[in-house]
Amino acid sequence: MGGREKLQRDRTSKLAQNIGIFLFLAPALILIGIYIIWPIIMSFNLSMFEWDGVSPQKIYVGLKNWKDLLQDSIFWYAFGNNIKFIFLSIIIEMPIAILIAVLLDRGGKKFDVFKSLFYLPMLMSSVAIGVLFKYIYDPSFGLLSGILSFLHLDFLNQDWLGDPNVAFYSVVAVICWQYIPFYMIFFIAALSNIPHELYEAAKIDGATQGQYFWKIELPLLSPSIKTACILSLIGSLKYFDLIYVMTEGGPSNATELMATYMYKNAFASFKMGYGSTIASAMFIIITTAGVLAYFATKKKEN
Amino acid sequence: MKRSVKIIAWVTAVVFMLSLVLVFSTSEKAFSSAGGTKKIVFWHITTDENGKKMIQKQVDRFVKAHPDFKVEVVPLQNDSFKTKLKIAMGSNQAPDVFVTWGGGPFFEYVRAGKVKDITAYMNKNNYKSRFVEAAFGPITYNNKIWAVPVEGAGVALVWYNKEIFKKYNLKVPTTYDEFLNIVKTLKSKGITPITLANKTKWPGCFWYWNFVNKLGGASAFEKAAERTGGSFADQPFIKAGEMLQELVKIGAFPKGFNGLDWDTGQSRMLLYSGKAAMELMGTWQIPIVKAENKKFYEKNLDFFPFPSIKGGKGDPTSLVGMASSNYYAVTTTCKYPKEAFNMIQYLIDDQAVKERIAYGQIPPVKGLKFSDPMLQKVYNIVAKAKSIQLWWDQYLPPQLAETHKDIVQSLFGLKLTPKAAAEKMEKAAKDYFKK
Repeated sequence: MGGREKLQRDRTSKLAQNIGIFLFLAPALILIGIYIIWPIIMSFNLSMFEWDGVSPQKIYVGLKNWKDLLQDSIFWYAFGNNIKFIFLSIIIEMPIAILIAVLLDRGGKKFDVFKSLFYLPMLMSSVAIGVLFKYIYDPSFGLLSGILSFLHLDFLNQDWLGDPNVAFYSVVAVICWQYIPFYMIFFIAALSNIPHELYEAAKIDGATQGQYFWKIELPLLSPSIKTACILSLIGSLKYFDLIYVMTEGGPSNATELMATYMYKNAFASFKMGYGSTIASAMFIIITTAGVLAYFATKKKEN
Repeated sequence: MKRSVKIIAWVTAVVFMLSLVLVFSTSEKAFSSAGGTKKIVFWHITTDENGKKMIQKQVDRFVKAHPDFKVEVVPLQNDSFKTKLKIAMGSNQAPDVFVTWGGGPFFEYVRAGKVKDITAYMNKNNYKSRFVEAAFGPITYNNKIWAVPVEGAGVALVWYNKEIFKKYNLKVPTTYDEFLNIVKTLKSKGITPITLANKTKWPGCFWYWNFVNKLGGASAFEKAAERTGGSFADQPFIKAGEMLQELVKIGAFPKGFNGLDWDTGQSRMLLYSGKAAMELMGTWQIPIVKAENKKFYEKNLDFFPFPSIKGGKGDPTSLVGMASSNYYAVTTTCKYPKEAFNMIQYLIDDQAVKERIAYGQIPPVKGLKFSDPMLQKVYNIVAKAKSIQLWWDQYLPPQLAETHKDIVQSLFGLKLTPKAAAEKMEKAAKDYFKK
């Protein structure tokens, strides 16, 4: 009797609790629903249409846009650029960020000012950085060509943003410059979680600085490195802003990414239907990559 | 105790929800009412300081005469404006008055029923006879007029630095062979002959369009674009690509031109510093140089029309561009179309024309006299021109225009051969028009 009453009470309080949870989550859920879920559904829906984005009628074309996408060499080139971008950003950003983080961590309090200084690029808006580097890269007046000619290294001077073979790397360099501080702070936080006793114990056992870093710090950092890599992976797949400001995906599609290609189709060429197809394809690719990366790192941890 | 915690939690949740509702409803209000006066939202793309002020002044005169009106003037950057307008039109948040170049993209909006037919307003008191005839081409669709020509003529001319020409004893060329000789001379003196900022692609297209116009005449492009017996793979289009790449190969353009941005002035910096001698650009160069570098404008700047090519079919007086570089149109969602039209009239009435000339423009209005000899010279050239071919990227449907601009940028980057480029464009046109 008493047991059943207790069960009953538990049930009602559980229900009340659930309603409470729902109510607290509702504002966020509504916003996510309106601004994220609904647009995603709409994009998939729009990808079945041929539509210029303005006129009242849309023409239903079924899977034609998807078929075109599979045969669109520019899209696949852009996808290849995204993959290249993922590897470059992980290979460049992670080691430098870890290096700076370790150095700043060893330095202790007196290096705090550098923490703030190094974080500055992250605080600037991408558009401002893009315009700034457009001037820095200017082959006639730019800071970079100025420095090179001052050092008598003119032969190194390149057509930084205009040469299709160079432009991609020029832009990636700027993106790395912008994002290294983010991962730096990320790793500094992770390093501060490593107990100081470990350092002292290692020192007493006669470990050198290098041994301490490779044998103790790096293994302890590895969960953070994995997370950072996933962040970088997803960020690279959906990247848009600096590329668009600096090169608009040009010259001759050399710096095209999936997102810039989508934008150009939807908003410059008035092909809203095809643009939505690219957006939907990006959604599928990024979600798959994210899930795969998540499970890959999960498995290793076990 | 526990009970009170629960109550607090519930109350917080409810307040949270309510405040959310309130946030949404108040923001809705703030957008629609705006103090009770009648409002006109006006988007334009004249973003340099003098131009912005000049437009604001005319709008202020309109507001003074119509105190019950309020005008929200929004100056936007050229390339971002195009995107913004498209989104606004698609989501029914369109401004009341907006700037346009006419041609293909504009007619998309017309066909979609977004633009108000203003033929009746233009015919009233024969208002339209105020403007030069050539100005109506890009905004006439189905024999109706859809926008008012306002901003000054915009035709592509070759701007050059007088001092450099004087220093090396160079004469203004009338034929392309003479022009090519000048390019070679300048190159040998260590000066970049022609400045170009081609990140946004249209500045480079100016070269291609002018080549085709002089080689095949105005009809070459029109026949190909209208699919009336012409093709983008015809001889003039291939030859234009060859001539363009010849210039690239002899190093006529600055280093990195495909990465330089015209919008942020990277081509003009070369001109001002004397590192480059010429630039093929629209007549908007006059007010821009005047505002950016007055000394250069007075001492160095001059221009000549695009030289004619031996054996080419194009008329020597023919130009690429438009008699009015920007038009203003009224949207169908505008609540006060008559007043909106009247506001546009203020932008190009006698007072405005006077200020526009002082600003450095050549208004699309008949019978003008200029005190600035440079403006008079442009006005005479425009008035004398047998044909003014509309910018291709405005004439073509947007999708084709983008393809075309990409192709020309690749031509400049020597990534495509002239023949392959011409065939690629022809294929794109065939796919689009299905003929």
